[in-house]
Amino acid sequence: MRRSSMAWVDVAATSLADGVHHVELDDGRGIALLRRGGQWWALRDVCPHQGARLSGGTMRGRVAPCLPGEEISLNDEEPVLVCPWHGWEFDVVTGRSLADPCRQRVRSYDVKVEAGRVWVQA
Amino acid sequence: MALQLIDTDVHNYPASMATLTPYLSRHWQGYVEQSGMKTPAASMYPKVFAAAARRDAWPPNGNQPGSDPDFARRQLLDEYDIDVAILNPLVAASSLHNHDLANALMRAVNEWTAHDWCAADGRWRGSIAVNSRDPEASAREIEHWAQDGRFVQVLLLVRSHAPYGQRQFRPIFRAAAEAGLPVGIHFGGGGDVPITACGWPSYYIEDHTVMSQAFETQLVSLVCEGVFSELPDLRVVLIEGGFAWLPALLWRLDKNWRGLRSEVPWLTELPGDIVRRQVRATTQPMEEPDNPEHLLQILDMIHCDEFLMFSTDYPHWDFDAPDRALPKQIPEVLRRRILADNAAQLYGLG
Repeated sequence: MRRSSMAWVDVAATSLADGVHHVELDDGRGIALLRRGGQWWALRDVCPHQGARLSGGTMRGRVAPCLPGEEISLNDEEPVLVCPWHGWEFDVVTGRSLADPCRQRVRSYDVKVEAGRVWVQA
Repeated sequence: MALQLIDTDVHNYPASMATLTPYLSRHWQGYVEQSGMKTPAASMYPKVFAAAARRDAWPPNGNQPGSDPDFARRQLLDEYDIDVAILNPLVAASSLHNHDLANALMRAVNEWTAHDWCAADGRWRGSIAVNSRDPEASAREIEHWAQDGRFVQVLLLVRSHAPYGQRQFRPIFRAAAEAGLPVGIHFGGGGDVPITACGWPSYYIEDHTVMSQAFETQLVSLVCEGVFSELPDLRVVLIEGGFAWLPALLWRLDKNWRGLRSEVPWLTELPGDIVRRQVRATTQPMEEPDNPEHLLQILDMIHCDEFLMFSTDYPHWDFDAPDRALPKQIPEVLRRRILADNAAQLYGLG
């Protein structure tokens, strides 16, 4: 649930490389800004488990369900951010933990690209 | 013409994992890249993250996490205001079959701990690495450092080639007790035997999870072989083995002792009482039940407020953050014991 009072904040240039980046808002909040081509996502840069900075993690596709012995594949349509400490995975869109989506969630923010800049509603 | 020569055993090796990656699926390419795994060797589990470390624990020079005292000081001691931190160097000298080389390495590791770490910051304390394959040499190594206050315990790895209670290892425990140093038994290691009582599991998640099996074996061995009975001043620390399994183990052992004590007549008291008096454990990796109250119940079942000592396991990936790891439900007095008092008492710190 997003608060409508949140303002759009200019956080980066669109020239930012693909991957995961840390940006800091004026009020001190850290944001993990993720880019893959024309897609952008933003999450609060604190893991809800033990507080690691998520921007130090990696982004990859969600591992698709399979049975023992079957080929293990990645679903790039569902990118996840992997925490750099304990390896917890978070859906980059919703911020929900894959292992415990109802109880473990990192805040996600809307992102837009406008006038050559990346904006986060935070 | 009849064949003149047949070679029935030829080995080919990839130069590195890069040789193999073009033949791996994208999933396995990513897995290899993330884990930093080398060309597989016998009995090897890639550790999820390179060097089994937090991804942010690589020093700026790119060397192994935990290799740069200054970086570790800033990222751990300064970041969390840690007063004293005990170093457990996991250089597996005991895995070498050349005992001369292993003993030289043992000394080198301890010199390095003393000079490169303890001398650089007064908050570091060392553990004396020993070679469990050569208990006599290990005892001499303990004696060598016994008067150096920078070292506060003796270090063994939990997976060994034989249970530590057996008489071959007694020189290590005698020397430690004589020096007034606890023996820390740490996660990891490996001998010439499978890592579980049922053989080799397939996955790192299994390797990591069932490490407690080795801790249980060592603890029962130390009790039943009479190590604690012979050395009442000896203290043993279970490091990175968890502790939630302990109540069930002690119930089972105490029950068996009542019926089978004639087999081990040197055990003249309940094993559980011996363990509570002479054994301690570190917290990381904290068991994390859905209901944190259950953890408090486990602590109550152990019924020894001196039992637990906090640990982070820096720089490893399963690091426990000092400000986040202990459940809020732990009462303040017990929290203080876990965070500092118990370790200060055991190691004579402060």
